[in-house]
Amino acid sequence: MPDEKLPAAAVRPFWSGTITFGLVSIPVELVAAVGSRRKSMKLVDEQGHPLGRRYWCPKDDKVLDNDELVRGYETESGKMVVITDEEFAAAAPEKSRDIELKRFVPLDAIPPFFFERPYFLAPDERAGKAYALLAQTMARSGKAGIGSFVMRGHEYLVAILADNGILRADVLRYADELRTPATIGLPKPRKADAGLVRALAKEIDALGKPALDPAEMEDLEAESLRKLAQQKAKSGKGVIAIEDLESPDDESGGSAEVIDLMEVLRKSLGAKAATARAATASSTTQPAPAGKATSTKTPAKKVAAKKVAAKKAPGKKAQARKSA
Amino acid sequence: MSARAIWKGQLLLGKHEVPVKLYSAVKDQAVHFHLLHAKDLTPVEQRIVRKDNGREVPKEAQRKALPLDDGRAVILEPDELEKLEPASDRTIHVLRFVPREALGDQWFDRPYYLGPDDDGGAYFALANALGASDRVGIARWVMRDKRYLGALSVADGYLGLTTLRRAEQVMAVPALRPDKARTPSDAEVKLAEQLIESITGAFEPEQWQNEYRERLHELIAAKAKGTKLRLVAAKPKEATGDLAESLRASLAATKGKKVA
Repeated sequence: MPDEKLPAAAVRPFWSGTITFGLVSIPVELVAAVGSRRKSMKLVDEQGHPLGRRYWCPKDDKVLDNDELVRGYETESGKMVVITDEEFAAAAPEKSRDIELKRFVPLDAIPPFFFERPYFLAPDERAGKAYALLAQTMARSGKAGIGSFVMRGHEYLVAILADNGILRADVLRYADELRTPATIGLPKPRKADAGLVRALAKEIDALGKPALDPAEMEDLEAESLRKLAQQKAKSGKGVIAIEDLESPDDESGGSAEVIDLMEVLRKSLGAKAATARAATASSTTQPAPAGKATSTKTPAKKVAAKKVAAKKAPGKKAQARKSA
Repeated sequence: MSARAIWKGQLLLGKHEVPVKLYSAVKDQAVHFHLLHAKDLTPVEQRIVRKDNGREVPKEAQRKALPLDDGRAVILEPDELEKLEPASDRTIHVLRFVPREALGDQWFDRPYYLGPDDDGGAYFALANALGASDRVGIARWVMRDKRYLGALSVADGYLGLTTLRRAEQVMAVPALRPDKARTPSDAEVKLAEQLIESITGAFEPEQWQNEYRERLHELIAAKAKGTKLRLVAAKPKEATGDLAESLRASLAATKGKKVA
């Protein structure tokens, strides 16, 4: 992990609840641990006016606010069943508040395919010593706690692990969300030619290095976009002021409370200023609100009426999670 | 039931070429909902509008602007963006191999399986060699006009390719040391270690079921039939007061006996 990369300054907390293990409970807030890609662009019209994605009622021909929306499930017979926020929560009341760590596993026992998305767990000020205790204990033992919680109509399996004294919640995929070579229909492994295996092992050795090369992990797409943009900026063409711009893949323009992650961590851990170099967020990366985190998948979403996964629907609180 | 390949190419390793097909390793299991206008349950649409006047802007009049670091942004026209699209050589280039632990959980984005696109001779030889090495490969390729970065690994005798996040997305946290009042004592850490040890086991993903998804289906079925639902709200938990006491009590509970 590159040293210079610091967390973006502002992140939106979008779930708060309690981690429990045994009888110990730790109040926490969940914030994004993945920054947006630098290639994230903002949506404007030809003259540079900021654009936003809005929900629209075709019958009334107008923009709708989030509190005018409900989620409905279409049954096989074509009937629309409305599920209210209260009903979503009531389907698993205990899970909408708590992440109970029922089991701990060696961190390296979780195959990479399971990891979906990491979040930081910022301790609530009431968390006291328990937060540091769990972080220290897990770091020493190399373990991760497994549990699940419900947020906005979706259950998330998470592995809670410690990184540098900070707890992280990694959303995991459920086993039934992963295909296997058998379900894909890959051919049965065949006996490999020993000579070819040796030759390939040699190639692997030849490219073997002890660590990652940060240059190889860089965003080449962002690089070429920046070059083009800077060139254009010099000629003065297409330059606009940034205000109120929205990424093309934002869910909607809802604004939510923005917090400074490092400030929260430092305050609730009472950490010393000596380690506070994180306070000044790196100048090259812009603040990354939680919801803007992934933008790699679907650059152009259908604007027409579309099915919305429960997890993508707007909540009353922060517009945070995009897809899980 | 078998899945369809989403891409074909060759994996290039030194002078060896391995013809491969790419399959998504992820299957969508989410319960999907429609967003409706609460008033009369009209399905809503998403539209792109001007923020200042709320007027709809059609696709062909939409542009993308890249923010610079100085409070300005530059509009990039569609033809300019098209020129930046990378050329595809249908090749997965392996750049280096690193020890498995060099890639932490934060890097992993989306998993894919690779399958052989021929008789599988080279494919299974590579799976064999890589599986024995305890390393993962760092690879780059271009797929549908986009650049990808990925980790080449072996799972159950097959090659896997997991897309990776970019360096600037993976946020490292600086070490923060809690102040004294929030630093647990050695005794507390010891108790916590015992407690965690007592509930440590193997990672058995099949044991974790998405119960909520099932309950949601039940709830929908009940509501569709017109059954009245009883709503139960969650009670917030209190933060732990006496930490050592709670740890001891938890340990006692897991052991089923009293600890002095």
